[in-house]
Amino acid sequence: MTPENPAQAAVDVNAIDPTQTHQVAEFKHEIALTTLRVDPTDRFAAAGAEDLDVQLWDLASGARRTLSGHKSWVRSIDFSADGNRMFTACWGGVVNVWDTSQAKPEPLQTIRAHQGSARFVRVSPDGQHLATCGNDLLVRVWNLADGKLVHEFSGHTRHVYGVDFHPQGKHLVSQDLLGGINVWDLESGTHQQSIDASVMTGYDNKFAADMGGARDMQFKPDGSQWASAGITKVTNSFAGVQDPIIVLFDWETGQEVKQLKSADDNVKGIAWGVRYHPDDFIIGAIADKSGKGELWFYKPDEEKAFHTMKLSSAARGLDLLSDNRRLAVAHADGHLRLYRMTAPSPAQATATETSG
Amino acid sequence: MRRNQGCNPLEHLMARRQFLAGTAAGAVGMGVLGTHAQADQLKREDKRILQVFLQGGVSQLESWDPKPGTVHGGPFQAIPTSVPGIHISELLPHIAQRMHHLSIVRSINIKINDHEQGRQFMEKGRRVGDFPYVGAVASKYLTPADSELPGYIHVSSRGLTDVAGGAAFLGAKHGQLKLEGIQPPGNLAAPVGIDALADASRDQLRLQFNQRFVQRRSKALTEAYDASYQQAAKLMSRKAMFEGQASQQDLDRYGTHDFGRYCLLARTLLENGAACVKVTHHGYDSHAENFNFHLEQLGEFDKPFCMLLDDLKARGMLESTLVVIYSEFGRTPTVNVRYGRDHWGTAWSIALGGCGIQPGGVIGKTNDTGTAVADREVDAGHLFHTYLQAVGLDSTANHDLQGRSIPIGDPAAQPIKELLA
Repeated sequence: MTPENPAQAAVDVNAIDPTQTHQVAEFKHEIALTTLRVDPTDRFAAAGAEDLDVQLWDLASGARRTLSGHKSWVRSIDFSADGNRMFTACWGGVVNVWDTSQAKPEPLQTIRAHQGSARFVRVSPDGQHLATCGNDLLVRVWNLADGKLVHEFSGHTRHVYGVDFHPQGKHLVSQDLLGGINVWDLESGTHQQSIDASVMTGYDNKFAADMGGARDMQFKPDGSQWASAGITKVTNSFAGVQDPIIVLFDWETGQEVKQLKSADDNVKGIAWGVRYHPDDFIIGAIADKSGKGELWFYKPDEEKAFHTMKLSSAARGLDLLSDNRRLAVAHADGHLRLYRMTAPSPAQATATETSG
Repeated sequence: MRRNQGCNPLEHLMARRQFLAGTAAGAVGMGVLGTHAQADQLKREDKRILQVFLQGGVSQLESWDPKPGTVHGGPFQAIPTSVPGIHISELLPHIAQRMHHLSIVRSINIKINDHEQGRQFMEKGRRVGDFPYVGAVASKYLTPADSELPGYIHVSSRGLTDVAGGAAFLGAKHGQLKLEGIQPPGNLAAPVGIDALADASRDQLRLQFNQRFVQRRSKALTEAYDASYQQAAKLMSRKAMFEGQASQQDLDRYGTHDFGRYCLLARTLLENGAACVKVTHHGYDSHAENFNFHLEQLGEFDKPFCMLLDDLKARGMLESTLVVIYSEFGRTPTVNVRYGRDHWGTAWSIALGGCGIQPGGVIGKTNDTGTAVADREVDAGHLFHTYLQAVGLDSTANHDLQGRSIPIGDPAAQPIKELLA
């Protein structure tokens, strides 16, 4: 039997093709978002905003719960492997623990994690520990069962912006404002290595201030690399004029492997998100100083992005859903949007053509 | 209260408190502040001004007027201070412990969002016109005749061009001497081969030439020239002041970064007779990353400034030193897409204390979201009057300029009386 529309029949809407990335869903908050995380079971997407709450959306139904309990903006979020626990770190230095199964979640536990901002929170691969870092120049590891401090690592000389566990769970990597990266050995509780990522910082001579820091970090699932998102080439950071950058580092050597940058020289701003895709490409989420944004799609062995998708609003957070086809992006216009890295379904394509 | 132009000029030569106290207030007919015996008395009282200029426009919401948890409040919290009921941003923990030395004005509306225009208004107390800066006025009326330093000194790492050093018609002698950080001005040492005797001889020759030159020309033409020589001579004699090493104890307290060293130099300059010392701390024009930059900048500002405040207090100088922390404007309540705040002259704050200021107070307020002044609106004209009256000068008097009388402060503005001690 001949299909009525042979072209439609040829479309595989499940084949991953980043060049066909398109928006498939939108969740609205009234305030600019600051970060996001999708739970490992793809049930929830959580976002911080320029207010004191956490927005928790059910991705299937679109239902939203607003979680109150912080006294400052939420800067970083992570989930337990089953998605039932959520951990939120705020500018006030507090990490709250939430039960996502509750209809109206309230903090189960409040950890006074840092003096000054708690900038990043990550759950260990075995789900037993939590790593945080902050403006007190410390990296701390907490026991999730009882909330007690397990390790405290000092050595950074400026605010610590990001931290992540190596997938084998035996090491942590943290990065500060000036691009100082430290590797910490969790078994011995000691500092193992210092790495220079000063390419990711800059001193603004006119305004006499430093700019930099890891705005997102993620290890490659096989543990051979990690990626750090941020800035480089500071020109006038007080007006947002610097280049967004994602730098890849080799785990064994600690050496920089590659720098990912915008294909458009006019794009100035900050890279706020990075994710490794299992199909061996890297995704970056960028906020341009204009208020718009970009998604970058890079193959590790190629010099330039094989695809760049312009965004109507600056990206402030990025996550990859476990179906590996959808991306969640937190936007400065208050929306959390889902993008699908496949060809649009015929219905979506028709709708787009009609609306266009 | 408008300036009473019907009063005898003498009444305006003295600050209100001194006038009411009757200190030589009965004398009449001597109207020139700069040469009058009563003005000399003010100079002997050794009052001075310390200006700390947070260049670029510090955010009032991240400093003196925090509104945590509100729509424009930002991520930082407010902390209690040493004055019950007054809260300031958590970014100023050291100042919070010393709030009883300072007061806050939270209701400034200068209706200007331009850096240069805002700065000029804040320095001159007038929106337009070639009028002297606060520092130049202090130099003229507060500098003792035997002072070994220029009256008005600005310590800054860069930029900020001020025409005639902000002296306007007061003359170059009262213009700002700008120091590039803690480095002494160049060429303070006499040239090799010129000893003190030779130096004096050549200066004498210069003066003779000047006298002949002036006989056929306006005296004003040589005044600026002479003032430069006089300033240079004063600085040459005090060269060691710049060369002294800060003690380790001071560096531990103030910090080793530029601003800490600027504050240490300011202490030295104030101790040595400068009538106005201005220290600029750059880096508040945060159109992007406002919160991270305020964390960094106010973190650098807070402690050294407090160490200077402590030292002024400990040395018995705070009561005779007006301390002002100010900018050219504040920053927008609205946070832009770059996490920045933009220029905002509509509803913002400064802090001040020391000589002549009631400490521990808050003047005016903004509305709940910080978008407008809700009570006791003032502008830079009011502040200008307030600064001068705080150090004992009647800002409603006139500058007497050889036949020309020019009001010292804007006659359309008044001091903030409830702020004056």
